[in-house]
Amino acid sequence: MIFIGYDDPAKRIEIDKYRQSRDIRRVVVISADEFPLPVPGSDQVTYSNVIRYVTFYRLMQEVDQYTLLVINECLRTQNRYDLTYNCIRNFLNQTEHQLIFQQLPQIDTAEDFMILFDFETRSRWKRRKFDLDLILDNAQMQVKPLPLTFEAVEVPTTPATQKKYTKEREKRFATLGAKDPHTIPRNLYLIGGQDKLAYLEAGERDREQWHVARNKRLNRDWVNTYSEATPEQAPYTIIELPHRFIEFSDFIRRSGQAGGRVLLADLKVDHWYFQRYQDWKERICETYASLQQR
Amino acid sequence: MRLTQVFSNGRNVLKAARERIAFIFDHFEDIHVSISGGKDSTVLAHLALEEAKRRGRRISIFFLDEEVVYQATIDQVEYIMEEIAPEQVIPLWLQLEFYLTNATSLTETQFIPWEAGKAKLWLRPKKSYAIKFPPWDRSTERVADKNKGFGFYDVFTNFERCYTNTAFVVGLRGVESPNRWRTVSKNPASIGGQPVYWATTKGENFSLYPLYDWNFHDVWKYIYDHGLRYHKIYDYQFRKGYPINEMRISSLIHEKSFKALVDLPEFEPKTYDRLVKRAKGIALAQETGKKAKLFRARKLPKNYTSWRVYRDFLLQTHPDPGKRDILARRFERHLDNEYVARQQCRQLILNDYENNLPVDNQPDPKRQWIEYYMENL
Repeated sequence: MIFIGYDDPAKRIEIDKYRQSRDIRRVVVISADEFPLPVPGSDQVTYSNVIRYVTFYRLMQEVDQYTLLVINECLRTQNRYDLTYNCIRNFLNQTEHQLIFQQLPQIDTAEDFMILFDFETRSRWKRRKFDLDLILDNAQMQVKPLPLTFEAVEVPTTPATQKKYTKEREKRFATLGAKDPHTIPRNLYLIGGQDKLAYLEAGERDREQWHVARNKRLNRDWVNTYSEATPEQAPYTIIELPHRFIEFSDFIRRSGQAGGRVLLADLKVDHWYFQRYQDWKERICETYASLQQR
Repeated sequence: MRLTQVFSNGRNVLKAARERIAFIFDHFEDIHVSISGGKDSTVLAHLALEEAKRRGRRISIFFLDEEVVYQATIDQVEYIMEEIAPEQVIPLWLQLEFYLTNATSLTETQFIPWEAGKAKLWLRPKKSYAIKFPPWDRSTERVADKNKGFGFYDVFTNFERCYTNTAFVVGLRGVESPNRWRTVSKNPASIGGQPVYWATTKGENFSLYPLYDWNFHDVWKYIYDHGLRYHKIYDYQFRKGYPINEMRISSLIHEKSFKALVDLPEFEPKTYDRLVKRAKGIALAQETGKKAKLFRARKLPKNYTSWRVYRDFLLQTHPDPGKRDILARRFERHLDNEYVARQQCRQLILNDYENNLPVDNQPDPKRQWIEYYMENL
């Protein structure tokens, strides 16, 4: 069964319920490295360890029809044929007991959900694209939608910053060469950082509130990076959104904060990032709506 | 209760392979097992020879000697032909002249194993019992690619034409690549009135793949369980940390295997010494075979800002006009972008005029992103 949007206590309740209702003699929990799910008496396996021989062959020998496999937050890459997913498929072929937990139903697009669907269905429809009828007919799901919201806080920038932006933009395109084009928005987005900081320090900052930015370059003790987020410091004001959606998904897992106030400089790249996340939110909401049809 | 996918039916790949080999012996008088000296063919030959011993029959062991192979390959082939069950073996060790692509040199683009007049330079003397002259009718000899001349695969084609209703047994495994899987499964053969899904028809003969469902660890388990000797290079590669997909044993100079030259002086210094004298381009490939700026064509050399400019330079300075024209004609049909040009550079550097490493002729994905960002940022 696939559970979307469950927190750790709710996951443990589901695991206990499942264990009690069936003849389960062993529980193997495969979790994303950063998000372990401790369950008493279980074998804990990290996502990155799945492909190691020492883990793979051991589990191939040990997983049997009395084993419950818990796949916890394992949606880490959009490649449906990733080696780690293939290894997990091999374990799943040896038991019919599995529980799949994931915070959000996708990394980017609804297609990503098919990776979870493959886990649930032993990859029987591995070549099929996202097909709602197929999913609803063949997978059991419980969905708790997260209320994703992004609220824009307009931040004016100085003419010097705008000039710098134009200059940097031209330079980036001119000197791109063989480099990855995605470095362009990543770098341009950082230009408004000092203006956002000035805006906050000029009195717009709530002294009690923590802020989150891409890295430590702003050098303020009230600004954390995404990897440092904790539930205690939430809700954060978002100075910059991460480029990769999975980093924001991890942030939600760490802090429990699904969205929030986003500082939006009057630069084109800021608006592009904000719109990108609004579109992402829409896609996730659409997937929620689809999966809850029955 | 839901139906789970069941793999266990009381059989394993070894049992299944033995049954398949017994099936081959039941249906064919003439059986040829092709070997390369690698782990798969060692296992296949051992399985076939065990069955031959049980039935008191003799089978042919076929090895096409490309000359430019590891000494350990030769040791392994000798072990298979002469030590496992010599009384059951009809050795078919072919040491003939044919054209082999030399990816390491642009001036000597074709290497001729066992070339007449160069006996002093050969990597080793010919085997006493080897087949040294083509056993087929030369007047009807078939050549697939006239540009290249009589090549590696032509030897197989013409050799197989000497036989009818013969089983050519090959140690190919489906998991190695989709192409190999396709080779096994695309045209199931009908043998003895029944469809055989691990065999294909080949003219008047059959190609059979009894190990098609083996995984690499099945092969190693078999070797371990039966105490078989195996190719020494695997041990060196393992110690050096080679990934499984790169632990290959084949010719040392063609466009898919020249990387082996990088470690050859370390693994087999004597073979390397002889090879440097025997073929052109070896020392350069040994030094730069894994370098991003040369053979791998992953990074542009310092003086170039675009793959297209680099490609044009390589094309203009190609030393062989015949090959240059083939490549230029092919490139004319391709899209003109950086993504395609990088792959064309790889073909030029590796002298891949045969198109063994085909170009993915697609619009440049990077260009599309750049245009998108120009518009939106």
